[in-house]
Amino acid sequence: MHLRRHLPHYLMIAPFMLLFAIFFLFPILSGFYYSFNDWNAVQPAKFVGLANYQKIIASRDFARSMWNLGTYIVITVPLGILVALGLALLVDNFTGRWAHVFRGAYFLPVVLPSFLAATIWRWIYAPNFGLLNMMLGWFGMPSVNFLNNTGSMIYCLIAVDVWASAGFNMIILLAGLKNIPTELYEAARLDGASKWQQIIHITIPMLGPVLFFVVTYGLISAMQVFDKPWLLTGSSFTTYGGRGNALLFPVMDMMGRGFGAVKFGEAAAYGFLLTLAIVMVTALMFVLRSWSDRR
Amino acid sequence: MRIISKLQGGIAGLLASVALAGAGAASAEGVTLEYWVYSDFAAGDALALQQQFIAEFVAKHPGVKINITGKGDDDLTAGEIAGAASNTLPDVFMNGLNVGAQLASVGALSNIYDKWMAMPESFRAQFNADAIKSCTPKPDKMYCLPYTGFGSLLFRNLTVLQKAGVDTSKVPATWTEWFEQMKKVKAAGLYAMPDTTMVFNSVAEIYGTTGDASNWGIDWATHKTRIDPTVMTKVLQKFIDMVPLNSGTSRNDQATKDLFIANQLAFHVVGPWVDPTYKQAAEKNGLKYDFQLVPGDTPDKHGGIKSYEIVGVSPGPHRDLAWEFATYITAKEQMGRWATLLARYNGNAAAMADPKVASQLLITKSVEAVKYAVDVQPPYFVGTVPSCYLATVVDIAAATADGKYTAAAGAKEMISQLNTCLAE
Repeated sequence: MHLRRHLPHYLMIAPFMLLFAIFFLFPILSGFYYSFNDWNAVQPAKFVGLANYQKIIASRDFARSMWNLGTYIVITVPLGILVALGLALLVDNFTGRWAHVFRGAYFLPVVLPSFLAATIWRWIYAPNFGLLNMMLGWFGMPSVNFLNNTGSMIYCLIAVDVWASAGFNMIILLAGLKNIPTELYEAARLDGASKWQQIIHITIPMLGPVLFFVVTYGLISAMQVFDKPWLLTGSSFTTYGGRGNALLFPVMDMMGRGFGAVKFGEAAAYGFLLTLAIVMVTALMFVLRSWSDRR
Repeated sequence: MRIISKLQGGIAGLLASVALAGAGAASAEGVTLEYWVYSDFAAGDALALQQQFIAEFVAKHPGVKINITGKGDDDLTAGEIAGAASNTLPDVFMNGLNVGAQLASVGALSNIYDKWMAMPESFRAQFNADAIKSCTPKPDKMYCLPYTGFGSLLFRNLTVLQKAGVDTSKVPATWTEWFEQMKKVKAAGLYAMPDTTMVFNSVAEIYGTTGDASNWGIDWATHKTRIDPTVMTKVLQKFIDMVPLNSGTSRNDQATKDLFIANQLAFHVVGPWVDPTYKQAAEKNGLKYDFQLVPGDTPDKHGGIKSYEIVGVSPGPHRDLAWEFATYITAKEQMGRWATLLARYNGNAAAMADPKVASQLLITKSVEAVKYAVDVQPPYFVGTVPSCYLATVVDIAAATADGKYTAAAGAKEMISQLNTCLAE
């Protein structure tokens, strides 16, 4: 009776469930299976237990990529959101044509193809005659090889990433800003609140749900960082990560193990370690949010 | 009786021939070959010539269709590995020798040794012997036919050299002479060279100025590097000496080409593929340049690297027809037309010797460069070179140039780390 009543509903969601099972569930489950096997994508998989996971965790490249990832996340996520919030507040003050102009200008890097953005930035960072080094030269400072100096490479990447992602976050935050009732600001102004106080006590709390989305999305994206460091270092499947592996990140290492070394079992294990980390971070974000809501 | 028997034999033979011919035609009828090439071979004039090759082949094989698809380097590798895993490999495809081991390990490449040996000697003799050797890791295993290739050349900006007071008619014959010219360029306030420690290929190019094939590459039997510490010490010293003279950009950077075109950079050691860019700059902006062999430590030695793009045949159901197509596009006549169009060296030695092709200076220089250059990552089709190997060479070369190691200490450390990497 229950089944008969709900059959049309099940049939309606069946196409989605079928496609989800084929294109998501099956690859995920087969990837999980292969992560416990020595497998080159063609020969029969050979069960090796946890050896792939152990090998990855014990490798120098894994330690290096995790260190790079940690440094990158700690800086790029908060900095990116701060810049995006600043831009959103700035654009929110404009109306009419200027609002469109600024919104379009700041969003431009988001739609720029990654390879084009990387080419532009490689020029900016070029030693001796690059834009940045030319500016340093005006102040009598020596040329810096930004993309070949292991101390500066990660900060160069962070700058590119903040530049590229700020527009996207700005649009989301801007939508959040538009939803804040103006009465709140009017009341605050009547009470003598400064602009800064309005931002701290009205804007940020009212943007809470939007900020939660932006932070969570930013963390998940940051953990999967791939194209920008890959392009900035001129990487390929056989050589990647730049000098001293200063721009080696987990997805790059995973790609290299898969298509460079043809060790897809290891690559699958790497993928699951990364997925586990992303799930844990996302879960932590939700726990923190619910804890914050309860307070 | 004997006549009847002969007649019977003759008729049987005739019938068999007809049957075979019929079977051949039937097997080709309605067949579609998938053919993957590098993306720059699937655009403009190169695509037009590839399509002409296809049309010529199809005219001789009615009912056959060939789809050509262009892909970037990494896309080719990923597609071919994934294709091997899912039985969706293209029938004929290109890639580089340096990923040959990966492709062979996943079974993407047919062992074409028997088919190769079945070809007439006149066909086999067309190819560069070293290139064929690179495709043949074992006496009975052959995985590719060589296609386009390169030997590094020394591109010289003549305007920069003249500004630096260098007699451009005197091509440096040795490293010492070349280095003297580099110093003069620097003294004139210009850049002598790109930073040769930034990518593996440029480290290898300078290694070639001192070392040779006997002390380069990997010994897969012992999992040890074949790099000689004495040779590497000399090479690392060259990197140290070049630090004040270089532009800080890599051999492959667009910025390096722009510096060369803007008359800021004197020398660029790279493959012949930069020539169209420089040629265009010469026509439009008056760039004065030439290309020479990379000088080595002695007048009879030259540096640089060489490698080949390859044509592979997948072990799919159309492998016989695919092999036939592969031999068609790599044969002298096609390779000659291909070389004439692109002004690019290729692995068909007979085509390179053709007067029409050999009249192109870039090709004759390349043919000469290939004789001296070291292979990029030999031996091919034996083991997958781990990324740590390539990274270690670059990292230690750069660290030594930066003063972290002396040349001797750098060479020792590099070899130790390379052996550890290979052991892992």
